[in-house]
Amino acid sequence: MQKQAILLGSDAIANGVKLCRPAVISAYPITPQTHIIETLSEMVDRGELESQYIKVESEMSAIAAVLGSVSAGSRSFTASSSQGLAMMHEVLHWFAGARLPLVLVNANRALGAPWNIWSDQSDSFSQRDTGWLQIYCETSQEALDTIIIAYKASEQLMLPIMVMIDGFILSHTMERLLIPDQQLVDDYLPAYQAPYRLDPDDPLTFGAAAQPDLFYELKKTFSETMSEAPTVLKNCEADFRQAFARAYSPVMRCPEGDEKSDTAIICCGAMTGTARVAVADLNKRGLSTDLLKIRLLRPFPKDELCAVCRDKKRIIVLNRACSYGVGGTLSQEVRAALYHLEQRPLVNDVMISLGGKEVFPETIAAVIENREELSSVDCNWLK
Amino acid sequence: MTELKYVKAIKDGDFRGLPISRASTAVNMTGSWKFFRPHLVSKNSPCREACPLQIPIAAYLGRLAEGKPSAALALLREFNPMPAVTGRVCPNFCQNACNRMEFDEAVSVGELERYLGDLGLEQAPDPVTVNRTEKIAIIGAGPAGLSAATFLARRGFKITLFEQAPAAGGLLRYAIPAYRLPRAILNREIDNLLKSYQIDLKCECRIGPDETSQLATEYSRIIWAPGLQSSRLPAAWPRLPLIKGALEVLSAISRGADINGQRFLVVGGGNAALDTARSLRRLGKEVEIIYRRTLAEMPAYAAEIKQALAEGLVIHTEEVIENVKPLTTGLQLFIHKSRKINEQIGAGEFLRTATADCLIAAIGQESDLRFNEHNNFITAGDFAHGAASVAEALASGRRAAETVLQQLGILPVPENITPDLKSKSRIEYKQLQLDYYAKKPAVKMAELDSLSRKENFSEIHQTLSSEQMQIEIERCFHCGSCTACGICWFFCPDVAIALDREESDLESRVLFDYDHCKGCGQCAAICPRGVIEMEEDN
Repeated sequence: MQKQAILLGSDAIANGVKLCRPAVISAYPITPQTHIIETLSEMVDRGELESQYIKVESEMSAIAAVLGSVSAGSRSFTASSSQGLAMMHEVLHWFAGARLPLVLVNANRALGAPWNIWSDQSDSFSQRDTGWLQIYCETSQEALDTIIIAYKASEQLMLPIMVMIDGFILSHTMERLLIPDQQLVDDYLPAYQAPYRLDPDDPLTFGAAAQPDLFYELKKTFSETMSEAPTVLKNCEADFRQAFARAYSPVMRCPEGDEKSDTAIICCGAMTGTARVAVADLNKRGLSTDLLKIRLLRPFPKDELCAVCRDKKRIIVLNRACSYGVGGTLSQEVRAALYHLEQRPLVNDVMISLGGKEVFPETIAAVIENREELSSVDCNWLK
Repeated sequence: MTELKYVKAIKDGDFRGLPISRASTAVNMTGSWKFFRPHLVSKNSPCREACPLQIPIAAYLGRLAEGKPSAALALLREFNPMPAVTGRVCPNFCQNACNRMEFDEAVSVGELERYLGDLGLEQAPDPVTVNRTEKIAIIGAGPAGLSAATFLARRGFKITLFEQAPAAGGLLRYAIPAYRLPRAILNREIDNLLKSYQIDLKCECRIGPDETSQLATEYSRIIWAPGLQSSRLPAAWPRLPLIKGALEVLSAISRGADINGQRFLVVGGGNAALDTARSLRRLGKEVEIIYRRTLAEMPAYAAEIKQALAEGLVIHTEEVIENVKPLTTGLQLFIHKSRKINEQIGAGEFLRTATADCLIAAIGQESDLRFNEHNNFITAGDFAHGAASVAEALASGRRAAETVLQQLGILPVPENITPDLKSKSRIEYKQLQLDYYAKKPAVKMAELDSLSRKENFSEIHQTLSSEQMQIEIERCFHCGSCTACGICWFFCPDVAIALDREESDLESRVLFDYDHCKGCGQCAAICPRGVIEMEEDN
């Protein structure tokens, strides 16, 4: 049984977190993430969620607090956004390197200067080398479900997972949701049994100094576990589908697209919803286009992407984050992955939005309509 | 399906490939990096410095906060032999110095002391046996005499305590009204002292200066604490039977004697005036007070003035009685406006005449005892320092005991029974780290309403319940006293702090592991009570 509800995206996420029964929550408020932790704090206050809610004075302390709680063997949760995530940066590296499982929700928002609170994926894209898994969600339902999947995958891999939603676009809009039954979630996601934890009766040293050769070996193992991550995640997604009848995968073809088309749009996050409308209309008008959604950014699912792009001639990547001096960050990832194809498609790098610049179906349609004018070398900024 | 080599290894508890080790980092003596080292330094709390008895308030309340009421009581008793009494009658000098006043309002130390004092009524102090051959005589079993007797008996002396009245207590029994200090409480407090210590109380035994040399043959030392028994009368007034002193009237009321007359005028603005007026009203008399200065200048305790006014007592201020004439029944009083001439108060314009059955002077006390110099002449209490608070009398008794101990060579001369406050610095409000406290008003104790109390001698204030005590004790900052709260332990990034909550030495409750402390100073910055200091590490 799954209960129906109409909730704000933030509340959908809070409900997803609650279903996972984290023993510790620590976070610092920042727009547009604040509602998530506010709702969680109210759940804890009302006694609906049995959890230690640790108030802190900064995001640095929030991530450090859960570093401690997870080290002690407790399933934990934190959330942040933009400058807050940037402030966590040092500990993000440490979290992954220490092989500690965690789910962090990031509400994507621009980084200043200039000051801007709207949707932009630069904050999490710029953390992609920290060793965390990164999953981008298109809808609030996907975010709710992904949190449950992510805890399972994270605890199997002993690696932290960052789950992204687009700030405001998802966090501050209401959506009809199916909320999984607690018992089903408990069956899917058993209580966290830490294979090692801080324990005075069985002392262990965590992340102490490693000599160069040992350090290299540890990082090699880390990288190898990361390469197993897509398989683990896919297994968790398959189990989730069995239990809750909703399917997710690292790369998802959208049914609105034309699978046979030699042109495909690639994007990630909530923009996919807008692209679905645009692509459905383009196909109706005879402008055949396929639509691919990247859900998993780290580790980058290159095999899965290559499989669906094998027969494409043109890939248009819609970016919401920029690596200045190179171009769209997502485009770089896509280009690198497709490099191994024998028949490499053309990749058009389009910077479609930053700092919450509105993307309408017409905006995307216009890009496709004028695709011949796009540079295949340089980043294409909108006129 | 891909073989999940590394994921499987973790599942099987195989830590290889993970940054986890069974090797200890304790060998890494990171403490060698430090330039500064933390250490515990207790400081004087302002409440302690303000207390005539120098009670380590922050420390004993710390024990109470830790849930160790017996330990708290024991520490309190080391300094104050009569906490159930002072918890009721002390004007709480401590509260007027409380650091918490700058935060919201002072901690109700008096109420907490009373809570422990009442607990102590059920737990007599541990008995002490005599191990000294010298005998000590103490004249006067008021607070000063009882205090001196207690502190000397604790050192193993046999004490003989002479009292002219039928029972011990002095002003506690024969002046302070029962609505402020119920006699059952006083009796219990005194009985406990007599039960635990070798004090031979000889009541109805008046000792005067003439007996001094006779006593000196039997006793090594004599402490004189006879108090001030007579009330002063204004020089301008005639000496008439219907003009009485406040002490005489209060004593009569305390003994349950009949008080003749119906209409009374009390002259004075101190506690004695209020005590007399309020006691007489409780006996159904009509009483008014005449005071020569303003209400704000009254030397009586503010709380007592507030209560008296709430009970409807009329206080005429800035008035003096310039003359008194006897009538066939009662007195005729000539009341003038008071007038200040060179800081002296005199009579100004005539206001009115009034009649009264009795006029009571409560303008000060004096002693009629006159002494010659004597070798072993030690004094204590009001007789020594003039009329003062009960706490000051108890402190004076303790000082007299110290003098005896010093004279007998038991205590080195500069030392006191209690530690010297001068060796420590005082902790100021600014030195506290108060992020751990929320603003919270002091617990208000239950009080009989003014209507139901003004016709009887029932005690006005009640003792805090254990729930109220718990709330109030959490308000105390324990300024300058380690409570082993553990905040430093929690924050130490090097796990270089251990706590010993059972350690009674407040400067040994936090143990620093200097082999691993890097001297970052977080513990010193975070300590709510300001007892961790950083010093240069050589």
